[in-house]
Amino acid sequence: MKRVLIVDDAAFMRLTLKNILVKNGFEVIGEAVNGAMGVSMYKELHPDIVTMDITMPEMTGLEALKEIKTYDPNAKIVMISAMGQGSMVMEAVEAGAKTFIVKPFKEDYVVEVLTKISTM
Amino acid sequence: MGNQSDNDSLLEMFVFETTQYLERLEELILSNEKSNCYTQTVIGEIFRIMHNIKSSSAMMLLTDISKLAHAMEDFFFFVREEKPKGIDYSVLSDFILEGVDFIKVELQKIKNGDTTDGDPAPLIKNIKEYLVLIKKQNNSTKLMRAKKTTKEQQSDDLRQEQKTLLPEANAFKAVIYFQEGCEMENIRAYQVVHQLKGLASEIYYLPDDLVENNDSVQIIREQGFEVFFKSEQTYQQILAFCNQNILFKELELIQLENDDEFKQFTISDKVDLDKVNKIKLEEFSAEMPQLQEKTSEKDVSLVIRQSIIGVNVDKLDKLMDLVGEMVIAEAMVTQHPELKGLELDNFNKAARQLRKIINEVQNFVMSMRMVPLVTTFQKMYRVVRDMSKKLNKEVELEIIGGETEVDKNIIEHVSDPLLHLVRNAIDHGLESPAERRKKGKAEAGKITLEARSAGNDVLIVVRDNGKGLNKEKLMKQAKKKGLLRKQEHEMTEREIYNLILVPGFSTKEQTTEFSGRGVGMDVVTNNVEKMGGDVLVDSVPDEGTTITLKIPLTLTIIDGMNISVGEACYTIPINTIKECFKPKETEIIMDLDGNEMIMVRGQCFPIVRLYQLYQVKTEITCLTDGILMMVENNEKMLCLFVDKLLGEQQVVVKTLPSFIGSTIKKKGLVGCTLLGDGSISLILDVAGFF
Repeated sequence: MKRVLIVDDAAFMRLTLKNILVKNGFEVIGEAVNGAMGVSMYKELHPDIVTMDITMPEMTGLEALKEIKTYDPNAKIVMISAMGQGSMVMEAVEAGAKTFIVKPFKEDYVVEVLTKISTM
Repeated sequence: MGNQSDNDSLLEMFVFETTQYLERLEELILSNEKSNCYTQTVIGEIFRIMHNIKSSSAMMLLTDISKLAHAMEDFFFFVREEKPKGIDYSVLSDFILEGVDFIKVELQKIKNGDTTDGDPAPLIKNIKEYLVLIKKQNNSTKLMRAKKTTKEQQSDDLRQEQKTLLPEANAFKAVIYFQEGCEMENIRAYQVVHQLKGLASEIYYLPDDLVENNDSVQIIREQGFEVFFKSEQTYQQILAFCNQNILFKELELIQLENDDEFKQFTISDKVDLDKVNKIKLEEFSAEMPQLQEKTSEKDVSLVIRQSIIGVNVDKLDKLMDLVGEMVIAEAMVTQHPELKGLELDNFNKAARQLRKIINEVQNFVMSMRMVPLVTTFQKMYRVVRDMSKKLNKEVELEIIGGETEVDKNIIEHVSDPLLHLVRNAIDHGLESPAERRKKGKAEAGKITLEARSAGNDVLIVVRDNGKGLNKEKLMKQAKKKGLLRKQEHEMTEREIYNLILVPGFSTKEQTTEFSGRGVGMDVVTNNVEKMGGDVLVDSVPDEGTTITLKIPLTLTIIDGMNISVGEACYTIPINTIKECFKPKETEIIMDLDGNEMIMVRGQCFPIVRLYQLYQVKTEITCLTDGILMMVENNEKMLCLFVDKLLGEQQVVVKTLPSFIGSTIKKKGLVGCTLLGDGSISLILDVAGFF
């Protein structure tokens, strides 16, 4: 079972993602409420996949992505972005995000993306 | 998405979190409005909140809320990035608060299961128009930015010319279609190019202006994304690489014989990814100092693990119920009739230990349900702000002791009375600025909200420094409405002030938008008494009015005194009992109407015979055979006549079933409880006897 870390400051988003993932055979091993916590939890838990929101307090998803990538260049991180955050997503892609999911997302889509990512 | 229960919990979470966001927004805006400028952190936070509301509500298919939040997000994005000047923050605050109100109303509809039918269009229009206005005013800064980019463009071109071609590499052409509905196709295309960078030496692509041109998304969707590149890798390797990319719907990869097709791209179209990266970095570095500052704080927060989780209130309620059952069960075991007369030293020891643990559990569960009053208090900032604007009164709100905690259920009952009291205080209590100046007071009136605990009660005080209550006016009004129950000259000051709590009493001739819609202070009294609390009114002319709500800490478990009348058993809350005593014949007097009274330390108190009131058969009908229990409510006292005291016990208050509740409520019964021996005891509400 693939172990996923969810990083998002909105509890609603975390719950939505978690519901989707758990239902489709992923294991959510942790939820972080900001980038900084996401980084420290990554170091502690070594998840297979991270879903990373971009706009967060403390440390944005971009910064967290970069920090995790420095710590573990093989980290599989999927950015969760809203419409209109193009430039940030671009930066994320350059910094090594595997791909990105655009909010509002559909369940099938999330599952497909994460399944593919996990086999890469 | 998902099944029903999933959706329910999501909706619940959505409502909960969005409500929190809205409260936070109000707080941010109200606390910053005065300074007429928002700090960068505040703007950032507002932006983030709007962003989250936008995304969440879009997930819940609440497009109206999402659109509104989006409009506000855009606004704050602009403010955050451009730091424009000339924003009238009070106008902006109004916009946001209107938006907050709109979303609040919609949330309420969701909670009630109604359809969300509000129309945010006018609000969105306002915000957008204001954004356009601000943008216009700040055009000059935009121009400067534009200039900067063209300069970068030039240096870009220079670099590209220097790049040499690798003739021996294989040339490829790929046409890519992305999955439908994956959104932001241009960025996905950009990602492909970015990934190819590691393999390919020369990359061209169509459409070539991925990010800058908004139409590129549409072009990619319709015609696919074309990439031309040279690489030393073989066709198979490239194909394998491309297939890794997860969101391709269709991929067409062709190895080209020559690089003729490359010629269609002029030199300046060539992509130089390194360069692009560089520019990005430069742009980014402008923000760097700020970020670094943040990092140092971050290190501290890294250590903080998630130590708070949200728990459904229903579960807490259930837990509290169960603890209540446990308290009863404990009494049932340890006071079991079959144990009577047995010598059970070790059993008693064990029982004591059990009681101790149960007590601890109970205290813990109760403390879990405790919520600080501060959020309830802070909601008043908004009320004060709106009212002072509308009524043209300057009002200052002071909050003391907001950290005082009360039971969650009580919080819910407190907000309405509090709202009413604050409105009353501003509307009726505080004078107009002109009047205040005449009296030599500061022009700005002051409302103080204070909370503090006193024993088993919490006192919530609403104080204003306005004109105070007018005793003559109160008396006149009461007489006019026929609400006086006593002779005028016999009434104490406090009794006169308490007149404002009587249903149907309102001194203000004119009603305003905010207070006095036919319902008066009796709403406050009702709500507070429902919780077993009291309202106290105090006032000094020209110095202000103080209204104190005295509310028990928790509702469900009380310390009670069990008494018996005949075969019936009653429980009286200990905190209302003043004293118990055996009366002497000589102390008992009758007044002219035949009412029994007792003289204690030179004061007379009426006597209520419980067996008469509840029509219970008992052998003890002579006052000197039974016991008198003096009880207090609202500083008034009377004596209840009971057969005997059974003992003190913690009891769990259960509400009376509705089919008997409505008929006997008036007689001072508030609920019932289960005693240790399994019998039922009725809980008396002392206030009902007066």
